[in-house]
Amino acid sequence: MSTSLPKEREVDRSDHIDQPGTLTGSVLPTALDRSADFWRRMALGGLAVSLSFVVAAIPIIVSGKNPLLAYWALVRGACGSVDSIAFALNKSTPYILAGVGVALCFRARVINIGAEGQIAVGGIAASWIVLSATALPGELLIPLALLGGACAGGGWAAIAAVMRLARGVHEVLGTLLLNFVGLLLVSEVLHGPMGEVGAGFPQSPLFPEQAWLPPLIPGTDLHIGIILAVLAVFVFHLVFWHTPFGFRLRLLGSTDAAAAYAGVSIVRSLFSVMLIAGALAGVAGAVEVLGVHYRLIQGFSVGFGFNAVAIALLASLNPIAVLPAGLFFGFLETGALAMQREIGVPSSLVFVIQGLTMVFVLCALGISLRRQRI
Amino acid sequence: MDYPVIIELLTASVRIATPLLFVALGGVISESGGTFAVGVEGMMLGGAFGGAVTVLVTKNILLGLLASSISGALFATIIAVATVRFRTDHMVTGLAVNIFALGLTSFLLRGLFGGKTPVMVLPTLSTVRIPWLCTLPLAGPVLFDEPLMTYLAFLLIIPVHLFLRRTRAGLTLRAVGENPSAAFSVGASPEQIRMVAVIVCGAFAGLGGAVLSLQELGTFTDGMTNGRGFLALAAIIVGRWMPFRVMWGCLLIGAASALALNIQGWGLPLSSYVIQMTPYLIALAVLCGIGRKARMPQAIGKAFIRN
Repeated sequence: MSTSLPKEREVDRSDHIDQPGTLTGSVLPTALDRSADFWRRMALGGLAVSLSFVVAAIPIIVSGKNPLLAYWALVRGACGSVDSIAFALNKSTPYILAGVGVALCFRARVINIGAEGQIAVGGIAASWIVLSATALPGELLIPLALLGGACAGGGWAAIAAVMRLARGVHEVLGTLLLNFVGLLLVSEVLHGPMGEVGAGFPQSPLFPEQAWLPPLIPGTDLHIGIILAVLAVFVFHLVFWHTPFGFRLRLLGSTDAAAAYAGVSIVRSLFSVMLIAGALAGVAGAVEVLGVHYRLIQGFSVGFGFNAVAIALLASLNPIAVLPAGLFFGFLETGALAMQREIGVPSSLVFVIQGLTMVFVLCALGISLRRQRI
Repeated sequence: MDYPVIIELLTASVRIATPLLFVALGGVISESGGTFAVGVEGMMLGGAFGGAVTVLVTKNILLGLLASSISGALFATIIAVATVRFRTDHMVTGLAVNIFALGLTSFLLRGLFGGKTPVMVLPTLSTVRIPWLCTLPLAGPVLFDEPLMTYLAFLLIIPVHLFLRRTRAGLTLRAVGENPSAAFSVGASPEQIRMVAVIVCGAFAGLGGAVLSLQELGTFTDGMTNGRGFLALAAIIVGRWMPFRVMWGCLLIGAASALALNIQGWGLPLSSYVIQMTPYLIALAVLCGIGRKARMPQAIGKAFIRN
């Protein structure tokens, strides 16, 4: 008899007789199998999105506009021209990158909502590298800046992870509060060492041209960041479903007992998943400054973190489904900006739809889980 | 530091702590019943908006306060239904409602007034001097020369404390937060109690928002709560879910912010952005300091299922 086998825990089954009710943890999807309900979840996401468009029509009507016209303007604005599609793809890129990380975290039941701060510091690091190593050629400078962004974002997430593991500070509060610090850090460097002298707006000087992310399709604004995002989705899809690390994450997401039984170190897994998510968000920040603005600007990451959470949820926390979910939100935002320009419906409708989608996805997951239980 | 500076600092601490205190008291009620109150940020924003718009239209501040607590409660209702009826994750549901509230208030602010942000200059609650008490040294100007809602916030601590510790309803609420099965076995309905607690939390948080829009600033701007709801959550943990201690938590964060505002005038070699970080950093530092000593309600964040 091998002594290395874990000892089976005693299970007190009297619970079920004595107690008039049971307690369950968070209702986040925790299925261990891959293909079983992928399409059902895609359908669920579609349903949640449609339902939120229906409900979001109410405030549009209240403000005296025709929701059908508004949505038509939104669709036209999102995919009406090559330019708008390029714009939407660029918008989706950081969302997808950060969304993959958040999905992995949630899957391991680590509620990391600090993507916003991680994106911010990732952007700072990338900008700093680009602005101080101007002599390097682009082939070297861009990877270096992306790497710097990843390190900074990972480090920022690590702070929250350490606070959680060493001092028991819940990661929700840790990451949330660090978001505000990260955003202020951007303002700080722009008003101090990295600010452009004489600019009316808090921003850094323009990056040297070799540091700009090259266009994917010449003649459009579409940069190669989207390739990175798609790559990240597929890599982490494989990691999640086909590696021991991914298996540990899935175990962590199922039950504490299962994870403990399999000898999963919660400390190590939590730390590494936060690090990965932070690094991905950091890359997102780097991509945003190198590919879209060509400089660091104040508040460039505002709203990105919650977008990432909404996308991860809409994807039902499935790394590969983050891709369509992220694209959807990118196109939605692009369309909303056009809708505001054309018929004067405020673009903050995006947040209304996002919030509603999240609520509906959560409720639908709750219902489906309840069915499974019975 | 001389006397006027100290008075100024303490007054500012109390002023900044006021909205946090409303939100934190609501959060204590919600979390005592076992529901994480991450959605308070959105409830607060909803309250600030509802109050501001009502006062803009009716010019009646009392109606505005009523409207703000109702708006806060409405946003809370979404969380109550989702977490209790659909057993959704408390944290993520709270976040979803925060985003929803941010979007809806920003949308309606423009949509209700013909597509453009209206210029809002609202009458604000003026300070009320308590006769005799306001002449006390130090305590007088700091505590007894404040606007109405500040008195209300600090007075509310007592009934909330008594409710949670001394009344049957309050004890049942806490029982539901600690062990819903046990509460259920003696005839309480954990689901119903949790929903009511979350909605009451929304009304409190809505009033906290009203403090911002109707007492402090006299206007509404997009996302004006700016993380205050989350700071209140930190204060709840600092105060270990006990109203009086939570008050000290709020005052601590208030003092940190007040000091931060005041330091800017001292000519220290610190930029205003670093200084603006202090409340968040202090909150994090205190949370780290408390560490695992914080004992939250046992069944918090867990859904109750009847067998």
